[in-house]
Amino acid sequence: MPILDKPLIVVVAVLYLAVCVGLGIWSLRRTRNAQDFWIAGQALGVVVTGIATMAAAFSGFVFVGGPGLTYRIGLSSLFINVSIGFTAGLLGWTVAKRLRLLAEVRDVYTIPDAVLCRYRSRLASGAAAVAVLIGTVGYLGTQLLALGVVMKAALGIESALLAVALGTAVILFYSTAGGMVAGIWTDVFQGGLMLLAAVGIFFYAMDAGGGFGEITRSISESERFGRQFLEPFGETPVLMPLGFFFVFGIGVLGQPHMLHKFFMLRDPRRLKWLPLILGGSQVVCLLIWLGLGLAVPALVAQGKLPPLEKPDDAAPLFLLNFAPDLLAGLAVAAILAAIMSTADSFTNLGAAALVRDLPKALGRQVGNELLWGRIATVGVTLAAAVTAYLYNDLIALLGTFSFGTFGAALAPALAVGLNWKRVTAAAATASIITGTVLNLVMELKLIPLPPGALPTAVSLAASFVVLLLVSWLTKGEEIDEDVRAVMEA
Amino acid sequence: MAQRSALVLLALAALAALLGSVMGSPWLLAMGGAVFPVALIALGAPRLRWTLLLLGIVLVGVLSTLLLLPDGGPDVGPLPLGTALMLFVLVPVPFILVSWAYAAFFDLREEDLERLRRADPR
Repeated sequence: MPILDKPLIVVVAVLYLAVCVGLGIWSLRRTRNAQDFWIAGQALGVVVTGIATMAAAFSGFVFVGGPGLTYRIGLSSLFINVSIGFTAGLLGWTVAKRLRLLAEVRDVYTIPDAVLCRYRSRLASGAAAVAVLIGTVGYLGTQLLALGVVMKAALGIESALLAVALGTAVILFYSTAGGMVAGIWTDVFQGGLMLLAAVGIFFYAMDAGGGFGEITRSISESERFGRQFLEPFGETPVLMPLGFFFVFGIGVLGQPHMLHKFFMLRDPRRLKWLPLILGGSQVVCLLIWLGLGLAVPALVAQGKLPPLEKPDDAAPLFLLNFAPDLLAGLAVAAILAAIMSTADSFTNLGAAALVRDLPKALGRQVGNELLWGRIATVGVTLAAAVTAYLYNDLIALLGTFSFGTFGAALAPALAVGLNWKRVTAAAATASIITGTVLNLVMELKLIPLPPGALPTAVSLAASFVVLLLVSWLTKGEEIDEDVRAVMEA
Repeated sequence: MAQRSALVLLALAALAALLGSVMGSPWLLAMGGAVFPVALIALGAPRLRWTLLLLGIVLVGVLSTLLLLPDGGPDVGPLPLGTALMLFVLVPVPFILVSWAYAAFFDLREEDLERLRRADPR
């Protein structure tokens, strides 16, 4: 990525970081107990919950990696996103209401807490906590590495280590001080920035390329890209975009950084608006992917930009060459925001897995959860940062692996288990373990697959099959009366 | 849709997605991926018959059309027909349908919450 050394861009980036630190200080006084730290005191409105969920869901990949991927493989890359048409509603119908109502009748702060309530099985809950912890280190590591790259570019810092350290320090400050209270309000601020930048950049991108019709004509007529770039499956093996559609459409049901937000809603009755707010904000945010994904190849085809050496340079090159400084600064802040809003969710989830979920699974309880939560936040973040710094290549693998781990391990036990009483603890445990282990085995390519087939698609589908099969083969179990009432509500 | 039908549909979708990926069959994977969300929503909201039917038709219809159209089909305005369907049908129609249905049929009253809070935890 080229150095974004324009003064206004640096100023906007520094201002953004200062606001995040300010929100951390503001939240410190509002974080008095474990409930505040883990689920923001369960005091959020539905708009805040929806925007924060969107911000946590969309990492820097949407702003940087997405346009880069489109430059490389064409519009078939959009299959990663097209499922957002139904994912917000799917979340609503299958898990959001049940999870939030569980938090109404029990002290449910985390996904493993919910698994424990539903199945009364410490093994199932412990397996879920391990999956969360494994996925968290990978996901958080990926975000911190990306944060270092953007900080380096935005602020002109030469040392990669210093760039990662600075970004990590800001996240650590507000996450440790304010827990989820800080996490949520920075997410909302960050989500707002992402929406604003997405709309602004989309229109600038369309304008720079000469309008939608001219953009597609330039691409279609160029030798470098050709009409195939615009086709739904393009040059990629058909299994890949279809795999994207399946994995990102169904795997979303197991992403703890999104599901965790549902516990924080003050009034469960307001959930009715969640899919509209979450889905609507996701659609708006993805304008940046579509806009830059189309405009950059068109500008290359028109000779206004040189062919990219690295596809991931698509967004920064456009911002440097075509966007006004203020918009470019806003976009850099939005990219930082996208990364940090995902990262702060994971610092909290990882800490909760260590301080709350794993001890519970072992039949123990940590004394001062607030204090240990803060300490664990630092520990998890540093572990992820060290992993990211030392295992640079592996981190790219871990990013994909983490989404898959969450989806394959948690989606069946939650989406089916919270709606079908016949799912047993043995089935949930088998499904969680199958999803976690098979995903690792598949990602390491220990089992050969046809060209284009996604390893995560196999582990996700297999964990659903295991859950259904084991449930049908094992004897039904009693469910606590309040949990049963939640499932019937 | 009854819960039993939703479960059968879910099992078939999971098997189709699994076999489609492992055996390299785009049709199995596409149909599995299209039916999966319909089956899961049906499990959570069995009364949503028409919404689910429409969602199923849109997802199965668009994915089938994409697979059947050679090279994305003829151009419709600035885009191949397949891409236009992907962008302008596959995203907005399910979004409006499912999100609207959620807001319209969401049913949770203060009395329900009170009853839940009173339920015996054991």
